[in-house]
Amino acid sequence: MDHTSSGPAVNPGPDAADLAAASLAMARRFAAGATLWCASPAWPSHAQHVAVEFVHPVIVGKRALPAVTVGGDHPLESLRQLARSGDVLLLVSRSDEPAAAALPQRARAWGLLTIWIGAGPRPEPGAADYVLWVDEDETISSYGGRFVLLYHLLWELTHVCFEHPGLLKPELAECTEEVCITCSDEGRLGEIVAVRADGQAQVRTPAGLEAVDTTLIDDARPGDLVLIHAGAAVTIVEGSA
Amino acid sequence: MSPEGTDFLYPFIEADEHDVGALLSDLAASATGKAAESARLRDLTLEALRTDLDEAGRALADRFVAGARLYTFGNGGSSTDAASMAALFGQAPSGVALPARSLVADQAVLTAIGNDVGYELTFSRQLIAFANAPDIAMGYSTSGNSENVIRAFEEAKRRDLLTVGFAGYEGGQMAACDALDHCFIVRSHSVHRIQETQAALSYRLWETVQDCLAPGGERPEPHGLRLEPEEAR
Repeated sequence: MDHTSSGPAVNPGPDAADLAAASLAMARRFAAGATLWCASPAWPSHAQHVAVEFVHPVIVGKRALPAVTVGGDHPLESLRQLARSGDVLLLVSRSDEPAAAALPQRARAWGLLTIWIGAGPRPEPGAADYVLWVDEDETISSYGGRFVLLYHLLWELTHVCFEHPGLLKPELAECTEEVCITCSDEGRLGEIVAVRADGQAQVRTPAGLEAVDTTLIDDARPGDLVLIHAGAAVTIVEGSA
Repeated sequence: MSPEGTDFLYPFIEADEHDVGALLSDLAASATGKAAESARLRDLTLEALRTDLDEAGRALADRFVAGARLYTFGNGGSSTDAASMAALFGQAPSGVALPARSLVADQAVLTAIGNDVGYELTFSRQLIAFANAPDIAMGYSTSGNSENVIRAFEEAKRRDLLTVGFAGYEGGQMAACDALDHCFIVRSHSVHRIQETQAALSYRLWETVQDCLAPGGERPEPHGLRLEPEEAR
């Protein structure tokens, strides 16, 4: 199931169906104990704005939710250390920002739900679980206000979902892998943590640390993002980051 | 009483509710409605405040030509909007980059002032240290009542800064603040919708400043770094 959409934005707002689905998915993760990690490498103030919306709601009586800005010069490294499987990453970034694309890709390998708010050329299909996009014809700064609208709506809709506790149970089949894990074991993403001399490796996946055989690929290194099939790493998707 | 009890009267608080499709279509309709409301408020406010924005933009341009630095401030979400404006002025995507700084950027300074003298002085104390005419103070408060923002405007006026405020609701204390040269009020009772329109007003203000400072504009050749087009993003 591909949650992303390349359809036109609902005028004058965002793609409302994607926003609705992203909000429900996020509310489900929060209900199960997730932390929301907010990153915006080029515009840190947007990440901070998202975090403060969730932590300290503007509407009295709405619950405070755990949301944290991952900033600094190495947001990927911070996220690698802090995030747990089941958490959520919200990225606010253009797709052509150099520091951007690796964040949702790695986060998905670690078991995070990924939401990407951005502008510019749309990311590759599947770059994040949910892609909420501002049209390219907006100038760079006028879309700053559109980003604010998008994450405000995400917050508002997420809190609407909390009024429906029966619908916040974990999704039965959440297909976030290259090939759906519930359909087949053909290609789960994982990140190599350590490799032994005999080619056996510890790999971080949404399920935790797994023992994976890396003898099928050349020169496996810690940090490599690999595709796992039947207990073996079959391809390096991306080198260490 | 049957297991169903009176639950049928309250379908949305039922713990075994299972119609995800209905919720998703309600959420999508809500998002579309709120986005339309946001756009409506933005367009109405931009139109109502157009003359004031032009006037403020020219005043800012004059100050920048005279060598001003811009200081922006606010609390919570407004602090991030203030920081975005400092970044917009300072790292201009086009036109002229202008000296601008957010007063919430330095945790050491903020916590020192908050701890030692009081949170209401977090911005005014920094202006005492940093700012003098012809500098500019730009503050954000959706209620119009944030005490540290009001105190900063008062200090800024004592130091002959140009003062620009963004408020919501009916303007709160900012509407009646003598220390404000320009006060832009977004007349809404939703903090989120206010912030979205404040972002649009701020952007329009920046555009007006850029128009004034552009070659052929009213106030060309400021103390700024003109970006080559290929550097502009």
